[in-house]
Amino acid sequence: MVGPTATLTPLSRADGSASYRCPSTGSNILGSVNAPVELPARRDALRPEDATVEVFVKPGTAPGGVGERYIENVIKNMLAKLILGREKGYARRGVVITLATIGGESVGRGDSYLTLLPALIHTALLALLSAAVPLSMTFSATVLAVNASGEITREPSEKEAAAATSLHALAFSSKGHLLLNESQGAFDFDTWEKVHARALAICHGTLTRTSDGDVAMAEDVDGQPLEGTVRETVEDKLHQDYAWKTDAP
Amino acid sequence: MNKEASLSIAERDFILNALREDVRLDGRQADQFRPLTVSFGEEHGHVKVQLGKTSLVVRISSEVAKPRDDRPFDGVFTIALELTAMGSPAWENGRQGDLETYVINVLDRVVRHSNALDTESLCILKGVSCWNIRADVHITDYDGNLIDASCIGIMAGLQHFRRPDAVVKDGQVIVYGLDERVPVALNITHKPLSVTFHTFDEGKRVILDATRKEEQASEADVVIGLNNAGDVCYLSKFSGSPVDAMVFVNKSSVALEKVKQINGIIDKALQTDLAKRAKSGMAEESRAENDREIH
Repeated sequence: MVGPTATLTPLSRADGSASYRCPSTGSNILGSVNAPVELPARRDALRPEDATVEVFVKPGTAPGGVGERYIENVIKNMLAKLILGREKGYARRGVVITLATIGGESVGRGDSYLTLLPALIHTALLALLSAAVPLSMTFSATVLAVNASGEITREPSEKEAAAATSLHALAFSSKGHLLLNESQGAFDFDTWEKVHARALAICHGTLTRTSDGDVAMAEDVDGQPLEGTVRETVEDKLHQDYAWKTDAP
Repeated sequence: MNKEASLSIAERDFILNALREDVRLDGRQADQFRPLTVSFGEEHGHVKVQLGKTSLVVRISSEVAKPRDDRPFDGVFTIALELTAMGSPAWENGRQGDLETYVINVLDRVVRHSNALDTESLCILKGVSCWNIRADVHITDYDGNLIDASCIGIMAGLQHFRRPDAVVKDGQVIVYGLDERVPVALNITHKPLSVTFHTFDEGKRVILDATRKEEQASEADVVIGLNNAGDVCYLSKFSGSPVDAMVFVNKSSVALEKVKQINGIIDKALQTDLAKRAKSGMAEESRAENDREIH
């Protein structure tokens, strides 16, 4: 299985940005984060001690609609819990996340964004890291399709997703806790349990917990665990950025 | 919001005084564009434009739709541009600012109203179905001269795009997939591009392709839209202080030269992309045999 490819900070104007290419759907997502920014006063009335997280999803070849507004809400609710909005300089400010599909297949008008959800939140995470926004944890996510005979497909293509009886998007924190669970279609608990186990293996590999609570990751049939891919992308970027320091004699 | 932080007085004076000595911040001549690169993505009609630090992505898409009732023979062509916080932190998501309306208006007039894309060729069946061509402009980095950059992107995209083939058989419209039949290029009647000038120092200094800071320090802007043949299809002096009539006369010839130059860059990029596609063995697109009719 070919993993996703990502680049950190491709843009110059935004505070942080990431471009992400999902191998299964072929979608190319560009994300940008501006934080902390001044927001018009009316929005911070409810929680003055916290930062306001705003997510904007822009489809590639169609005007935005209900589908975008819905998925924006899902992403916002998830990220708002991870972003440490009470850190110094963040209270009463905004964290504005913009995600645009700039290549590959777009989600059709009124279609579900579930297949694209992992790509969107991975892009958002990398952009947040690139903008150095304080986060309580990192995560990785995947989407699985279950067809009529109970077979589970990882990151289904558009065709496979259309033929599936149920679709599940799951995100796990860096410690392996379930962060996001969005499903659509008909399924029973047993199916979900199987999906959950498989998704955990995709994101974290076969888990081996050491005594101090660290999670060691190993490769299995699903190739390199996604958590590692996200980590490596950031590591590579840091390595590049600090080349002047590390390569110096 | 929706407005860039304004320049400090010192910065404004610096730009102005430097221009009085014929020096621009980035060392360009007054009539010189920033380095321009046009590149194409995997799919047809996917263009990346980089003009100095301004960069954008244009995606052209097509779908079959019903033509408008008053124009049954015409297809539909729309240009969609939405400024998001991605391009500049000053832009607010989901709220239309002055710049956005202005740029959309100019693009509409230069590309759409000048009939660069022949909409009549998009008709499939009179009054029943036609092609709906949509150009989406995603601004990824904003450093001035949005109009020219978007115009270059849209025109390059239209020339690069291939729509699926569609035929009418017994009153039925059949659309063939991209792998079934060779996709069709759009019918481009001419290649108009816009060239934006900014004036300084009571109209005495006129520069081309201003950066964001130069735009902010300028008094007024003049947009000239014209094609390779030198036909002026758009001329505007939208806001700001008055501009001498001679500026329009003198700068149209400068604009013509630039349009030819930029169209040359686009053509070259298109040819390189075509050669690359031919090499990567697009057997379906390059084959010459006739489709067989199976009854």
